Formats: sequence, C-alpha cells, structure tokens
Amino acid sequence: MLLSFIVSGLGVGAVYALSGVGLVVLYRATGVLNFAFGATGALGAFCAHTVATAGYPVVAAWMTALVVATASSYFYGRVIAPSLSTRDLVVRAVGTLGFALILLGFIGWAWGDTPRRLSLPTDGIYFDLFGTRLTMTRILALALVFGMVAGINFMLSRTRLGLEMRSLADNRGLSAILGIRVVSVEASAWIISGISAGICGVLLANLVRLQGLQLTFLVIPAIAAAILGGLSSLVATAAAGVAIGIVEACLSIWPAVAPYRTATPFVVALIAVAVMGATANRRILTR
Amino acid sequence: MSVVELVAPPGESLVVQRPSLARFWNLILIPTLVIGSACIVALGANGYWISSLTSAAAIALAASGAGLLYGQLGLVSLCQYSLLGVGGWVALRLGFAFELAFEVNLLAAGLVSAGVGLLCGLPALRLRGLYLALVTLMLAGGFQVVINACGFPDGGPGFLGRADATPRIMMARPAIALSNQGYFIYSSVVLSLGLMIVELHRRTKPGRAWALIRAGETTALAAGVNLVRYKAWAFSLAGFLAGVAGALLAGNVGQLDGRAFPASESLSLFALTVVGGVYNWIGAVFTGLLLRAVVSLLTDLRVDGNIAMALFGAALLHSLIVAPSGIAGLIVGLFDRISSRIVNRQP
Amino acid sequence: MLVTCTAAAIWLSAGSGVQAQTIRCGMNNGQKATGVPINIGGIVSKTGPDDFSASAGAAEAYFKCVNQNGGINGRPINYSVGDDRWNPETATQLRAKLVDDQKVVAMVGSSSFAECAANAKAYEASNVVVIAGVGVPRECFTSKNYAPLNAGPRLSTVAAAQHLNERDGAKSFVCISLNIPNFGAWACDGIDVWAKANGLKSTTILIDPGSSDANSTILQAAALKPDAIVFCLSKSVIVSLLVAAEQQGIVDKIKFGSGAAAYASDLPAAIGPAWNKKFLTNMEFQAIDSTAPDNKNWLAIMDKYADASVSRDTFSQGGYLAARLATETLLKLDPAKIDRDTVSDALRKVSKFESDILCTSWYFGADAARHNANSVLRTSIVDENAWKVVSPCTKVVDPELADIRAYEQKSGMDR
Repeated sequence: MLLSFIVSGLGVGAVYALSGVGLVVLYRATGVLNFAFGATGALGAFCAHTVATAGYPVVAAWMTALVVATASSYFYGRVIAPSLSTRDLVVRAVGTLGFALILLGFIGWAWGDTPRRLSLPTDGIYFDLFGTRLTMTRILALALVFGMVAGINFMLSRTRLGLEMRSLADNRGLSAILGIRVVSVEASAWIISGISAGICGVLLANLVRLQGLQLTFLVIPAIAAAILGGLSSLVATAAAGVAIGIVEACLSIWPAVAPYRTATPFVVALIAVAVMGATANRRILTR
Repeated sequence: MSVVELVAPPGESLVVQRPSLARFWNLILIPTLVIGSACIVALGANGYWISSLTSAAAIALAASGAGLLYGQLGLVSLCQYSLLGVGGWVALRLGFAFELAFEVNLLAAGLVSAGVGLLCGLPALRLRGLYLALVTLMLAGGFQVVINACGFPDGGPGFLGRADATPRIMMARPAIALSNQGYFIYSSVVLSLGLMIVELHRRTKPGRAWALIRAGETTALAAGVNLVRYKAWAFSLAGFLAGVAGALLAGNVGQLDGRAFPASESLSLFALTVVGGVYNWIGAVFTGLLLRAVVSLLTDLRVDGNIAMALFGAALLHSLIVAPSGIAGLIVGLFDRISSRIVNRQP
Repeated sequence: MLVTCTAAAIWLSAGSGVQAQTIRCGMNNGQKATGVPINIGGIVSKTGPDDFSASAGAAEAYFKCVNQNGGINGRPINYSVGDDRWNPETATQLRAKLVDDQKVVAMVGSSSFAECAANAKAYEASNVVVIAGVGVPRECFTSKNYAPLNAGPRLSTVAAAQHLNERDGAKSFVCISLNIPNFGAWACDGIDVWAKANGLKSTTILIDPGSSDANSTILQAAALKPDAIVFCLSKSVIVSLLVAAEQQGIVDKIKFGSGAAAYASDLPAAIGPAWNKKFLTNMEFQAIDSTAPDNKNWLAIMDKYADASVSRDTFSQGGYLAARLATETLLKLDPAKIDRDTVSDALRKVSKFESDILCTSWYFGADAARHNANSVLRTSIVDENAWKVVSPCTKVVDPELADIRAYEQKSGMDR
C-alpha cells in the first residue's frame, strides 16, 4: 500500500523537482528568482494545445511551446530585467511576479476556463508497479530532471559561458569591468530558462492540469524544493522535490492528515530551515 | 531650533543641529491628512466607494507593517497577508464567543498576530534578504492550506466556530460606528493611529536601533544594540498592525472567507508595498489605494478581470522600474524640489 | 423604387413576424421600451478558479430581448452585473453599489461563490429578494431572501449517487470533493447521510483546491474498493482526476459519477474516448441540446442577444430562467408602482413557475426560512464526445431536505 503511494508520489515529485530546478538554474545564472517560470511554461503549454487541436503534428505543438516560452522569457530578460538589475534580489523577484500576472491575465483572457487536457504519446505506455501504474510520461519527467541537472551543472562548471554566468550572478558590476559581455550572457541565461520553462510547462500541464492559475502558482511549492537545495545545489533541489512529492503522496494513507497534505512542501521547507538555521551555514543564510 | 558652532579646522565650518520636537511634525500631519480626507470623502462618496475605501484603509495598515520591516530593516516578510488572516480569525472568534467591545477584539487580534508575527520572525534572527522572504512565503503557503480547511468562524460552536446548519452570523461593528460612513471614518482613525505608532518608532530609539542594524549587524552589536530584541520588536509590531487590519476587514464585510487568503495575496501585498513606497508613511496609504481602490475602479468600469490582472502586473513592473522609492518617494521628492526652489528663491 | 421599398418592407415585416414566433420574451410586441428604467442587479464569480458568469450573461440577453419587446409595460430594464472575483470583500462592495447606490428593485441571475455568505444578511435588512441563476455554497440555500433556480451541489451529488445505486447497483461510495467546509464537506455529507439511512457505505475524501496530485487521490479512493466514485468538484479538477483514473486503468473497475459541474458540453471531448458510456453526471436543468420549446427559446435568445463568448451551459440556463421569472412577475405589477417592496413581495409569492428546462414547477416559498425548490433532476452519460440523457426526472432523497419537503406538503406543492 505504502509502496504504491511512493510510486504515485514520483509523479508529483517530478513536478516539484522540475519547477524547483528551473527556478534555481536561473537564480544561479542571473540572481533572479523567476516567479514567472510557471506562467511562461503555461503560456507555452496553452499554445501547444491550440496547435495540437488544430490538427498539426504533435512535434509542431511541442516546438510551439518551446518557442513561445523561450521568446517570452527572452523578452523579459533582455528588455525588462536589465532595468531592475541594480535593485536588491527581492525586488528583482517581485518584478518577475509582475510579469507572471501579465501572462496569467493574458492566458485567462485568451483561453477562458474551458476544461482542456494536454495529452502526450507517452501517456499510453505504462509499467505496473506495486499495485499502481507508472506512466511513461512520469518516467520521462524524472529522466528530464536528471538530464537538466546534469546538463546545467556541466554547463555551469565546465564551460566558459557557465563561468561567466556564475560571475555575473555573484557581482554584476565587477563582471562588467572584467570584460564579460553582461547583456549577452544574461540573455543566454534567460533563453536557457525559457527552454526549460517550455519543456516543464508541457510536462506539468500533462501531469497536473492545463489551467493557468494552477500552473503559475505551482512555483510556490517549488520554492520549497529550492530552499532545501539552498538556492544553489541543483542536485539537492531535484532530490528535495522528489522527496517532498513522495511524502505528500504517502500522507494520503492517513485520513486525518490527508486533506492537509498539500501543505507538505511548506512544512518540510520550514523544518529544513529550522534545522539548517541551527547548524548555522553562514553562506546560505546571508544571501 | 538651536545651532551650536564647534571649533573647526581652518577653512571649514561645522554646524550641528540638535534634534528637536520638529521631527515629530508627522505625528500631527498624519491624523490631520488621513482623518480629514476620510471625512471629506465620506460626505460625498457612494456606498460602493465607502466600502472599497474602508478595505483600502485596512490594507494600508497591513502595508505599513510590511513597509516598516522592509524600509527600516531591509527584511522581507511575505506572510503579512496571512497575519492579517490570523487577526481576522481571532477577531471573528472572539466577536462571536463573547459580547466584548469591538476595540477589545481589535486589540486581541493585534496581540495574537503580533505573537504569530514574532514566531515568523524567529528565522529572521539568522536569515536575511531573499532567503528570509522565501521562508515567510512558505509560512503563507501553509496558512493557505490550513485556513481553506478550517474556514473562518461564523458564529458556530466549537473551537473553529463554524456554523454548518444555520445562516452565517455577521460580526458586529463598533457601537460608535455602525453605519458604513461611520465605520469608514473609524477605520481611518485606526489607520492613522497605526501610522502614528510606526512614525513614533521611526523617530525614537527603536528607529535608530533599526537603522544601525540595517547599516551592519556587527556595527550595531559594537554600538550595544540588542539585535534579537529589536528585530523581534519589528516583527511583533508588523504582526500587530496586520492583526488589527484583519479585524477591521472582518468588521467591514462581517465575515471572511478562507479562499481569499492564498499565498499569492501576501506576494501582491509586498509587491504593492514596494510600489507605494516603504520610506514614508504615505506609501502605505498608496498601497491600500492601489490594492483596493484601483481594483474597485476597474471592477466598476467592468474591465474584464483577466485584463485587469494583466494591467496590474504591467503597472507593478513599471513602478518598480521607474520609481525605486515608490510613489511616495516620487511625491515626497516632488515636494522637496518645490520647497527647495522656494527656499532658494529667498534672498 | 416604390416596388422595391414595398417589397423590402414586406420582407422585413415577414422577418420580424418569423422572429416573434421563434423567440418569446416579455410582452412579445416588438416595440422598444422607452419609459423610466427599472434597475435590476446581478453578482457573478467570473475571474478566478472557475467562471460562472454565463448566468448573468443569459439574464442580460433576456432583458435585452424584453427591452426590445415592450419592456415591463413600457419600462425598460436596466441590468447591471458585477464580477466579485471570488472575493467576499468585492461581493460586499458590489452589493453596496447595486443595492445602496443604484437602488435595484431585485437581484436576478446571480451566480457567485462568495456573495451568498457575505451579503445574505444585508439583503434581508434592505428587503431585496435575490432570484439567483445558480447558487453554489451552502449559504445560498439557507438564506431567507436568496432563492436559486438550481438544485445545489449537495442535491446534485446525492442524485448522482442515487442514480448509480438504482441503475448500476452500487452499494459503496467514495465522494471526492474540495476541502471547503460550506461546499465540499457539505455536499459529500449528503451522500454520507443518505447512505447511512439506506444501509449503504460511504467515505468522503476531501482535497485541497490547489492540489497537484490527482494520481494519489485516485489511488486513495480506489484503495477503499468502492463500487462507485462520485465527484463534487470543478470541471478542470474533474478532468485531471478522470485522466489519472484512466491512466491507472480503473475505468472499468469502478463506476464514476459527478454532480452537475461536470455537465459542460466541452467536457466529454476533453476527457477522451476511454470514458465513452462510463462517466455520468447529474444535471440541474434540461439537456442543453434539447428541443423542448422553452429550451429552444433560451438558445434562440442567446443566439440573438448574447455575445458568442457567453457560454451556453447550465449556468446560462439558470440565468435565463431567473430573468424570465423576474420579467413575468414584474409584468403583473402596476408599472407606476414598481419599487423594491412591491417587487420583493411579488417575487416571494411566486408559486408555480413552469418551464420545460426544469423538471417540475419552481416556487419561492414566501414564508420559508430557506429556499431550494429545484430538487427533481435528470442524469446524463458520456456518449461519443457528447452527453446523452439516460434517466427521467427523479426526485432526490436527502434527509436534510426534510424541512423543505414538509413545507411543500403543507403548501400543496408535492413533488
């Protein structure tokens, strides 16, 4: 019984892990915590759904999602974010909240509240495990988490672009003096974030539901995973996201606690902070 | 104002101004402006606007707490709206359980929220900046789930005070302010009292301690400032203001709904606090107006809710970029420029 | 020239003659109303987790039709709607605007999640009667001045369970709903109480509205090994749960049903072919594509007077009925004496409002403490990307309706 819920939790765990990793990636590269990550992905997913129902091949729909998400992410990063680059971290994050509201409003206006389902070809393939079915889509999502973490870690630590990104996130002014092309490096970071938002958007729309409000504010539980990763470690963020998802799913077993299980990400994050605060890791705490 | 000339190196003159009672000028300005404009508005405004502006006054009170934390200490609290919910819950529960005066409910709500705010502030003893903001956001998220499940009291029995079979009871308003206009003026009086409390703090010892803590914690420690006490004081005060605001809101509508307290509301409250301006008391008033009066205007004009949301986001972005000190900063800056021009013109 | 003009005039009058046959509203005399306007208001929950605004959209269309057809004995209706964005604060402000500022004589066609609780007492205090298109939470059905045309989520969900019991022999149920005390818990409690009274088994699973984990919820429900799972949720959450159920392969193992929120014409296409003839929903009104005369009238009025963006769904049917009821009641009054008191009085006295959109006649229940007249309902099943009605009008049995049934018996309005 518990095992079947653990397997089930892998699905929502992948959801939290994907969003969390997406958030931390951009944060490590630009210092901006992107509240619009979910909304950008949702916009891509809605466009993909429209293209798919219009009769075009599925691949065209996915490409649409990627292009739309990347374009809107690039637009924010190139046009709006530089104006806020001198402000403190929280204000820059609040700026992305403004962008998220714009996207959310547009989605609500353009697509209304008709119930929609975003299907992927991997939905039909499944494995029977411990009395429950694990669809290929969930396995794909988990694989993508690993892929993103590995790929971006490699990029940040082994490539010149990654080095420039980390330098930029640390100190924008000094990086400019050093000759790093600030604008183009930041733009690359936002493009990478946009691509990951597009991929995540399609997967989340499939795993959760294709609804603007839900997908946009999925960033809030995802932030719990990011906190557990210390806003820096991608591996820890991904692991935390999956763990939170599994715990949340397993709480379904106890009827007294079950209606409150959506609070799992928040409770886990708060416990983790209390523990981390007690162990006083100065570098994390004073960011 | 007394001026003392010190012995100075040649070629320079040093003038020291001793702080005088003039720095408390705002304590007269605030109630005059706030209550005065409230009375003028109450004479002419229709029912729709009286109701909206009463909500705006309550939100302004909560925003002053958030602005205090951010402006004075650089600490971000993204659970201020949830603390408002806590205050509302306490006010409703006490209001239905006992026949106490509204003011007692107001104070009790403020005190309980102050306590909860203090608990929220415990992480602040070690955390700063974005990390603290995110932790408070987690608290707001947790509150969202809990309040959805428990609901707000509406006159029923038990600890949660929810009536399941009978019609909901509305919270009683203060005896001196039963009408809508009366309650609006009452709210503006409470708002100006709250703003005055914040202003008093800023101009006296706590304000100096906070400024020193913001300048650098090591510096503050060296100067003998008790970090824990003053940070805790700030969080408690912010919580108190949010709690009182929640009680005002509960009295305005008569009841509160669990679905109106998602974490995103706390995010919006903080964002609009920054837009309104955190360095001046009038910023909080602007925040209240933006969050309630502007939204009411858009609803009144029958602007589609989704378009209104998008416009809101665009305005938020625009204000953040164009006005770093918020709208209050723009207006105060304007006044300063005008008054310095006038001063400079004098021979 | 004269011949063309005459021909055009004959063609036009013939056209309007045809219209006067297919659309019926108000006085049906084709004359534009030009007297002193009568103010009527409506509050809907539009922007937020779900969109209920079609109710006011339909009422607006009907009132436009009425204004083009003689108005209320020559007086046009000035209908104002507000979107409360699911927020009770906003609902209070809108009520202040409509009741205090615009001095509406009645509220018609409302469908809001937030306003029943926030405004019920105020409506009582100012003697305004609300004929709502659709009521959602419990407060809409336990208030003195509030009377919705629909049955409510509790009756609708219980009716779905009762149908599954009668048609498919289901004896154990799981009710899945939102973790909101006056909505989800209240609705599933209906199945619980009915099941206990009839020796059946029922368990309730409440989920947070913001939950992203449909799979675990379905697992949790399936682990209880019920005969049937009944939903009382919004459309998008229903879709995500059905998708999870399909992926878990339990479509054929357990029966699935839902309250009336699932009865939307785009839902069968959204959930896909796996649910063909396997998912049924209760309906609070007539089938949307029914050819019964009043239903056709509703569709025709929507086509002529409503924007294409207004959904033709059950909310819209409720709003149409509310507007029709209000119009017919107002037409019986002296046009010079239409004010809040006379209108409220007349609306309270409504006792036999007939329409083929409803199963039985609707009444207000003048001296009753609460109003829930629509309690005889139909059921539909998914059939080839559309809904097909599978049961006749059936009376819902809910122990909580005891006071209403007693009132109906006393007043001779037996269902």
